[in-house]
Amino acid sequence: MPTGRRRSIAAGAALLALAGCAAPAAEAPVAADRPWDDVLAEADGQTVDLWMYGGEEAGSAYVDDVLAPAAAELGVTLRRVPVSDTGDALDRVLSERQAGVTDGEVDLVWVNGENYAAGRQAGAWLCDWALDLPNRQYTDPDDPLLSSDFGVPVEGCESPWHKAQFTLVYDSARVPEPPTTMAGVLDWAQANPGRFTYPAPPDFTGSVFVRQVLTSVVGGPGEVPVEFSQEAYDEYAPALFDRLAALRPALWRGGDTYPQSQQELDRLFADGEVDMTMTYGPATLADLVADGTFPETTRVLTLEEGTFGNASFLALPSTSGDSAGAQVVADLALSPEQQAAKADPGTWGQFTVLDLGLLEEADRAAFEALPASPVVPPYEELSENAQPELSADWVSPLDEGWRRSVLAP
Amino acid sequence: MSPRRRAVLLVLPALVPVAAVVGAALVSAVLLSLGLTPLVGRPELSLSAWRAAAGDLGTATRLSLGIAAASTVLAAVLGLGIALSATAAVRRSRLLGALAALTIPVPHLVGAAAMGLLLADSGVLARWLGVSPDAWPSLVGGPWWVAVVAEYAWKESAFVALVVGGVLASRARSYDETAALLGAGRWARFRFVTLPLAAPALGAASAVTFVYTLGSYEVAALLGRPYPEPLPVMAVRLAGSIDLAVRPQAAAVAVTTAVLALAAVLLALRALRRLSAWH
Repeated sequence: MPTGRRRSIAAGAALLALAGCAAPAAEAPVAADRPWDDVLAEADGQTVDLWMYGGEEAGSAYVDDVLAPAAAELGVTLRRVPVSDTGDALDRVLSERQAGVTDGEVDLVWVNGENYAAGRQAGAWLCDWALDLPNRQYTDPDDPLLSSDFGVPVEGCESPWHKAQFTLVYDSARVPEPPTTMAGVLDWAQANPGRFTYPAPPDFTGSVFVRQVLTSVVGGPGEVPVEFSQEAYDEYAPALFDRLAALRPALWRGGDTYPQSQQELDRLFADGEVDMTMTYGPATLADLVADGTFPETTRVLTLEEGTFGNASFLALPSTSGDSAGAQVVADLALSPEQQAAKADPGTWGQFTVLDLGLLEEADRAAFEALPASPVVPPYEELSENAQPELSADWVSPLDEGWRRSVLAP
Repeated sequence: MSPRRRAVLLVLPALVPVAAVVGAALVSAVLLSLGLTPLVGRPELSLSAWRAAAGDLGTATRLSLGIAAASTVLAAVLGLGIALSATAAVRRSRLLGALAALTIPVPHLVGAAAMGLLLADSGVLARWLGVSPDAWPSLVGGPWWVAVVAEYAWKESAFVALVVGGVLASRARSYDETAALLGAGRWARFRFVTLPLAAPALGAASAVTFVYTLGSYEVAALLGRPYPEPLPVMAVRLAGSIDLAVRPQAAAVAVTTAVLALAAVLLALRALRRLSAWH
């Protein structure tokens, strides 16, 4: 999930709204078990507010022009509420939950990873509904990306929306012989002072990069246990921070400072100040090259050992008063037609969560007819050797440890 | 009804909402920072959030005070200069005053974005001067917070000029002419007439600038660096942390900022009371 750096005043307002309230029970409420026709009947006429990161034009256009009209045909009015950071939506739900609101402003959230985990921690999401959606039959029940979200079990508390793959990006005109492993990338950065940097965690992308380096310095994928424990942290983190501290003098501006967000790194890459950038949403690259922001020689750097992959989801807040409508929208978003439309690079270019082998012939043909991009390789190639994300519990300690050990030793 | 009581009654409609909003916000922040209203878990009185934040609080406080002081001094000097030239008898300087006032409605966020585009190492200025990004000093995100201070000084100098200019325009001319008739030179008139007349307004505007800069987030977040970070940036980072248990620390930082701002206001009021023209 893309995350803006800026937290709005909503965070502060949420803090204030908590005055005098005790923390509510943390168990997640569950959806009523009932036939799908009943859900459809109740959803008719409801208005669903989908809160999602608003910084991606293609995503906003897809929801407004493709998903919302399809929802309207089912009798559900879908409204997109843009937020600068998905955490804003979570803050809203948490404060509504504190206040005992049952018809909240948030009906559906585009979420994954740490915001999902934080919501689970506080019982903010409705559970036991996502596995019952009719279109769920087209997903692979054994797909690890769909059963666990950054190490937190999904358990029907959120419905998959699309897949993402952490990707390094380079300019082939300036890096004629790109490295092929993460260790190679670090060595390349060391050998080319000032031409590489990464966003400072807790920026989402910077944080993923640090975890990717962790996987590399300890000897490859699978070495670091997915579940966080203090012992594992104490065992593995020092090597990571030593490596990044050693790399520091060779970074952009001598490692004296770091870009604060992926957008800032993208700007440095676009201006030719660095030769590599990185993203968890490679789908946007085609557009950036097409509109001339990135050079035409921009290419994706695939690593031999693979990179982190994850799926992002639609979660349904426990405070929503229109949960039937929200389930209908989540099911619609999972339909082969919507997934194929969204996977089209001309629309949004997001990788599907469906298992093409489970689709009917005509639906599969729609996916196979999608145009290939000269910049972004197909998902099968990108996701080769994809590694499951570490548990969300790893994120905060690693971000904080990086601040202490690398940023401000 | 005594005049004093009537004065209090007249102020009440303005005072009550301010006190209610600020008071409620401060009280809830203090409660949260003391662990009494946690987002998850059981309420329990503890100083652990304060202790956890303490490590960075000192650095953040020094940095915030430094940025606020530098911005305020620059804004005061610039603002006074604009106010003086705008109230001078030359027509062209009025244009200068009007131009300065134009910056007032520009939001700080927009100002910060513009300052970034201007001063960044591949920004407009560097390109105009033909300096390569490597050779350009790091004004944006650099160790001296140049772009941040420049943005505050630029925006707030217009505010200072407006306040000081208003006072000078209504009062300075006749005093100035009298002093000139009595044989006072240019420098003497500035020191003994204009400056004392402008001082209370300049002091009050500087105090507002200082407190505003101390508590403002967006400019420092946009043009600053990840470490060290000023108090408001630290508070927002912690308040947005994915670890809900860190949020009390954000409240602790917010409370520290509020206390510093209050202290600055009280000091400024005391200093202003000493100025002869303030009654």
